[in-house]
Amino acid sequence: MRLPKFLYEEPSTIEEASSILLEKPAAKILAGGTDLLVNMKHRVEEPTVVINIKRIPGLNYIAQENGAIRIGALTSLKTISGSALIAEKLPALAMAASSVGSYHHQTMGTLGGNLCQQNRCKYFNQSRWWRSARPLCFKAGGEICHVMKRKEVCHASYCGDVAPALLALDARVRLGSKTGDRQVFLNDLFSGEGKNPLLREKHEILIEVIIPEEASLGLSSYIKFANRESIDFPIVGGAFWTSPETKACRVAFTAVERKPVRGEKVESFLNGKEISREIMEEAMILASKAAVPVRNSIYDPAYKRTVMKLLLQQLVKQTTGRRVS
Amino acid sequence: MKKAIALNINGDSYDVLVNPNNTLLEVLRDKLGLIGTKRGCDLGACGACTVLVNGEAFLSCLMLALDAVGKEIVTIEGLVHDGELDPLQKAFMENGGLQCGFCTPGMIVSAKAILNEDDHPTESVIRKKMAGNLCRCTGYKKIVESVLSASQTAGKER
Repeated sequence: MRLPKFLYEEPSTIEEASSILLEKPAAKILAGGTDLLVNMKHRVEEPTVVINIKRIPGLNYIAQENGAIRIGALTSLKTISGSALIAEKLPALAMAASSVGSYHHQTMGTLGGNLCQQNRCKYFNQSRWWRSARPLCFKAGGEICHVMKRKEVCHASYCGDVAPALLALDARVRLGSKTGDRQVFLNDLFSGEGKNPLLREKHEILIEVIIPEEASLGLSSYIKFANRESIDFPIVGGAFWTSPETKACRVAFTAVERKPVRGEKVESFLNGKEISREIMEEAMILASKAAVPVRNSIYDPAYKRTVMKLLLQQLVKQTTGRRVS
Repeated sequence: MKKAIALNINGDSYDVLVNPNNTLLEVLRDKLGLIGTKRGCDLGACGACTVLVNGEAFLSCLMLALDAVGKEIVTIEGLVHDGELDPLQKAFMENGGLQCGFCTPGMIVSAKAILNEDDHPTESVIRKKMAGNLCRCTGYKKIVESVLSASQTAGKER
């Protein structure tokens, strides 16, 4: 399958890359390429310019600074899952990174690229031939969303594995551009809109992920529920973080909505509580209501809600090492 | 617009003219005739196109040829030294780790990357790291046995 034609740019600084993005808004950033190039082969993304940022030095590192852990956007998922520091301090992140695609994808794929991946839908992630049986969907450049049979909305789901882990770890991301850097909470990077899932200025590039010290003092884990162990995107993925001292907790899910979601009601319900069987049962019901999945994959929305419920139970067990059911 | 680039493949330097939209796989197979690397799904799901890039397993169908400039690329052809097969290739032959052979180059190159990282991987490590290489014939058992046997041979040689 050939890639569509494009102009290729290889900037050596973030400022240069940002200038190209500003001049050519239809440009796309290439990092690991395991998401973008597949979409381009399917002709659902056809950027006129591809900006390879991998030659920009200084974006591949894992560092600890005043307790906070900082990871460069071009750090490979394999490096993250293989890092002793991450495995010890942020197990949820290590688990999430090692569950992405196959080992090849983890070798090629980067942290920034995984966070900024495209949303997915059974009507979108298909070959041109498959899609030709229907009018073009809104996300691929048409008018209608086949999931909801409505015009000018997109219900594609965010399916990244790493984002829920980082949401549970309360991470922030640094966006670089020619006009300077800014930090936002990871939650604020996602628009919740299917067609353009990221909330960033068109000339901004994700350059760093910062995980606060508080996160590394707690316990955390990630579980990916998928059809096969390799390759598959999650049917539902869930991450959980808890502090043994304060009993505060954070929970996040992926592949259930147009953005990765925090289970805020679950969190406020569980906060400070010793988790008993009754409390767990109630929390599981809240977890199943943390998102409203739609029929955009081959899995039924009701099934996804059941999985969310069971994932919470499994996550609590895996994180705290206690069986509560 | 075509660009003239030099690629380091199997220790040799190749000068090629490529379009930005050429993948490394297209250059290897269609321009350089290195057809040992297979084109399977061409979407990064089957692992048949695996090559070593700086010693790590990369999917050549999802890598731009322009991105490969300055990197050390090794394909299945590059594992043979002075007519002598790599211990992994021998192990696949001796253990019956292949049937139709289409996935085999990808399997062997992925296994090579695993052994580059770890001399003695356990069976579960091999299975996890090779899960992205699909085989429709063997049922994987003999492939895993081949890699385990090669890792033991490698250990003995040292």
